[in-house]
Amino acid sequence: MLRTENPKRPASLDELLDSRLISRVSRLDVTSRKMFTGKLKGERRSKKRGESVEFADHRPYVVGDDLRHIDWNIFGRLDRLFLKLFLEEEDLCLHVVVDCSASHDCGQPNKFFFMQQTAMALGYVGLINYNRVAMSAIGTPAAPGMSPSESPDVPHTGIVSAVRDLRGRRRTHELAAWLCSLRPEGGSNFPEAAKRIALSRRGKGVMVVMSDFFFKEGYETGLRLLMGRGYDVFCLQVLSPQELEPDIAGDLRLRDVEDADAAEITVSAPLLKRYKANLAAYCDQLRTFCARRDITLLTVRSDTPIDVLLLDYMRRRGVLR
Amino acid sequence: MTWLTPLVAAVAAAIAVPSLIILYFLKLRRREVEVSTTLLWRKAVQDLQANAPFQRLRRNILLLLQLLVLAAALVAVGQPEMEGKVPRGLQHVILIDRSASMSSADAEGGVSRLDAAKREAVRLVDSLRGESLIGSDRADEAMVIAFDQTAEVRQQFTGDKAALKAAINAIEPTAAPSSLDEAVRLARAHLPDQTLVEETGAVTVEGLKTRGVAIHLFSDGRLRDAQRVLTGVEDKVRFTRLGTPDAANLAVTAFRAERTYDNPTELTVFIGIQSTDRAERRAELELIIDGVVERIRSVTIPPATTDAPTLEDGTPPPPDLWRPGTTSIVFRLERPDGGLFAVRLLPGDGPDVLDIDNRAWLVVPPARQLSVAVVTEGSLFLVSALQGLPLAKLVQYTPDEYLAASRRGETGAYDVVVLDAWLPPPGDRPTMPPGRYLVLGAVPPLPLGAADLGPGEPGILIDWRRDHPALRGLVLDNVVVSTTRNVEIGPESAITVIAETDRGPAILDLASADLRAVIVAFNPADSYWPFYVSFPVFIAQALNYLGQDPSHLGLDARSVRPGSILTDRLPQGAAEVAIRLPDRTEIPLTPAADGRIVYGPVRQAGVHEVTWRGERTPADIALGARALRPFAASLLDPEESDAGASSSLSLAGVDVAALDPSRSNVNRRLWPWLLLAALGVMMLEWFVYNRKVQV
Repeated sequence: MLRTENPKRPASLDELLDSRLISRVSRLDVTSRKMFTGKLKGERRSKKRGESVEFADHRPYVVGDDLRHIDWNIFGRLDRLFLKLFLEEEDLCLHVVVDCSASHDCGQPNKFFFMQQTAMALGYVGLINYNRVAMSAIGTPAAPGMSPSESPDVPHTGIVSAVRDLRGRRRTHELAAWLCSLRPEGGSNFPEAAKRIALSRRGKGVMVVMSDFFFKEGYETGLRLLMGRGYDVFCLQVLSPQELEPDIAGDLRLRDVEDADAAEITVSAPLLKRYKANLAAYCDQLRTFCARRDITLLTVRSDTPIDVLLLDYMRRRGVLR
Repeated sequence: MTWLTPLVAAVAAAIAVPSLIILYFLKLRRREVEVSTTLLWRKAVQDLQANAPFQRLRRNILLLLQLLVLAAALVAVGQPEMEGKVPRGLQHVILIDRSASMSSADAEGGVSRLDAAKREAVRLVDSLRGESLIGSDRADEAMVIAFDQTAEVRQQFTGDKAALKAAINAIEPTAAPSSLDEAVRLARAHLPDQTLVEETGAVTVEGLKTRGVAIHLFSDGRLRDAQRVLTGVEDKVRFTRLGTPDAANLAVTAFRAERTYDNPTELTVFIGIQSTDRAERRAELELIIDGVVERIRSVTIPPATTDAPTLEDGTPPPPDLWRPGTTSIVFRLERPDGGLFAVRLLPGDGPDVLDIDNRAWLVVPPARQLSVAVVTEGSLFLVSALQGLPLAKLVQYTPDEYLAASRRGETGAYDVVVLDAWLPPPGDRPTMPPGRYLVLGAVPPLPLGAADLGPGEPGILIDWRRDHPALRGLVLDNVVVSTTRNVEIGPESAITVIAETDRGPAILDLASADLRAVIVAFNPADSYWPFYVSFPVFIAQALNYLGQDPSHLGLDARSVRPGSILTDRLPQGAAEVAIRLPDRTEIPLTPAADGRIVYGPVRQAGVHEVTWRGERTPADIALGARALRPFAASLLDPEESDAGASSSLSLAGVDVAALDPSRSNVNRRLWPWLLLAALGVMMLEWFVYNRKVQV
């Protein structure tokens, strides 16, 4: 909950993913409950009947069909024309959205480092399976000496930086370098960022949104926008252990790291009880919202081991297989 | 419940309580902390806080506890007190009986009555009101008086509890009997008068008035003069009885020794014993002479008796109505020498609460027998009268022989010299040499104050001093003198006439610093007197009278009662005088110019030894270069030894019931408890606060 002192800032791939984790996640692949039309022929089975070697079905010939797909053996037996249908295989787009606002530079372990690691692991899984991997860092970088809330007139897209169309194991280091360059600063403008991402998307696919979802402007609009474009959206809510179990005491003036908003509290048992009730209600509200819109939500603590998250939690929820 | 400083407490409450509540409205200086988001906290705080200002005080247990602490402290400032039975505004006089009976070891806890009394008195002092911390109320004052036969102010009126307690604890038991009257008089004498203005309705009466005092008497109630004690009308007497009413005590109540006149070497020792036990007791009695047990006798002492009937329910009559059983023992000893006699009663198996009355001491002087020289030409009557007396030594001289012996210095050994119609030459002195003389038929010359004017007419003895030791019991009215002597007594003479004839003085008594004489002016041979029985009796009485020391002691002269003053006269020139008490402490004494010493009052029972450097009399014991004279102090008081504690005390007709020490009322201070409660609540507050913070 409190801002992490001297947070770990990874500089290379090795610091994001250790070799043991790499070997364990290498067997995973990104999956989607929906099958999307890919741009390139990929390794993924498509809903479309296509040109792979895998047989799917027969159907009666109609005028205009490609004659190359007529099953001549059946014509010889039955004297009727049937087309042989094959399963189409195409690539899948994996879009990872990382919330880069200052609020993630908090907690012990640091929430942002946890998100960086998770994004890298997901990206690695996507790359080695020849999926198209895109990543976006959302947030509004703070003007020097000024909090974002103090300069509301400065328009911002809500996206700090992004990488697109990465494919294949070779791009792993490029992806890692991009992730390492991110800094959790400033505030957030989730609806704007979601709009941008939705507008600029190419192809459908799986979208993983990693954030704590503590948006003062609300998460509903943003998620609705992302959902509307047909993504298979997966939300990963990362909370630090201290946010779940506050370890503060005394008479305090709490200052929001993003917008410098202050709240005066006297820590007491009823207050803590109330806080926890509010947190539970907030998370519950988010879960209900996601469930209604067919969004998978996973709330994790920032001290969850990455391999457990990937191999257990995310597999169980059908994001990986 | 009374409040010593209610106004102060009210003012403090008026300031402190609102202050505390206002403090709750003040903003805290808060520690600033950066958090990921204030979203949930703000909501939680909003949920928790209502907008109305007093809402925040609602159900705030911390404030409630702090108010409790404050209330306890404020009530403590008010100095509340529970009402005890000690009346307010009184000065307290603490009278502690330290007499012999208070040494009885039958008080609660097996301690002596005096120790119990001191303990109770200290409790009383503890309960006195101290000076109010804030207000202007005066502290209670108390005075400590210890009394036995005499009373002594151990501490003047003061509010200083430490001084009072020190004075109480310094009281030592004595072996003296008790007397309350002097103690009460002493207390009232020290009481400061106070001017009071009394308002009685519309009329204001002004006058000098003595405030009443609370007299706290710590005693066993064995106060023989209690009936004479007159306390002030407003005085409140509280009598705390120490000891048990039916305490059994064996005591030596009498110890005397006597010698018979005709056989002075035979000594008869009387010992009286009493027992307050209600059963017959057997005891052993030891007679110790000069530290050696001389006789042991087994005694049976009858039980205490009462005339009062036993009540119907079987309870015996009150202890005051019991008479102790008594018995007496007589020892006969053949003992010409003197000695230090002691008697010790060994009470056997039964109870005996008081120890100091089981012993008694007596200094017995040696049998007194005179050495007499008679200087005569041969008076048959005189010599035969002297020969019939129990004298140690009788030597007959002629005047020449006497002068020769006198020159040899032998005559100093005689107690009395009888001069028969002869006077020694004065030598270099204008009159007779120093000594004690019985002069018959001669008158010593001036300047002693008498002048012999030669023989006179015949006469009859017509008047004599019947109370003079030499003439006691004599009948002289038939003595006819054929030749009287004319004697003239000077106006400022050391001579007194103790018998007269119708012609003038007949028998004279001369007492100067170094010369004592009984002078019979006429010659008995010239009268009928030698034919009467009164003549040898006169000779014997005159010799005894002259043979007495100026500081002569009778058989009980060296006995002193505890509580009284020891006075005696030492030989002139005694130096480095000291008295050694029975507990072996030595106290130096300064004798007066005439050798008189005073010590006292005597506190302890036992042998007191006065020692000095210088001359000594034959009765004194030589101790190297020093002389020693013992004095025996024994209780020997049947009333004091009647050790049962009185259940009530009657002071000049006003009965005062005894208080049981275990149920006596004292003022109880409540404010320390309230402060303790404040501390407790404060700790609870701390606990609650911590629970609140740490969840």
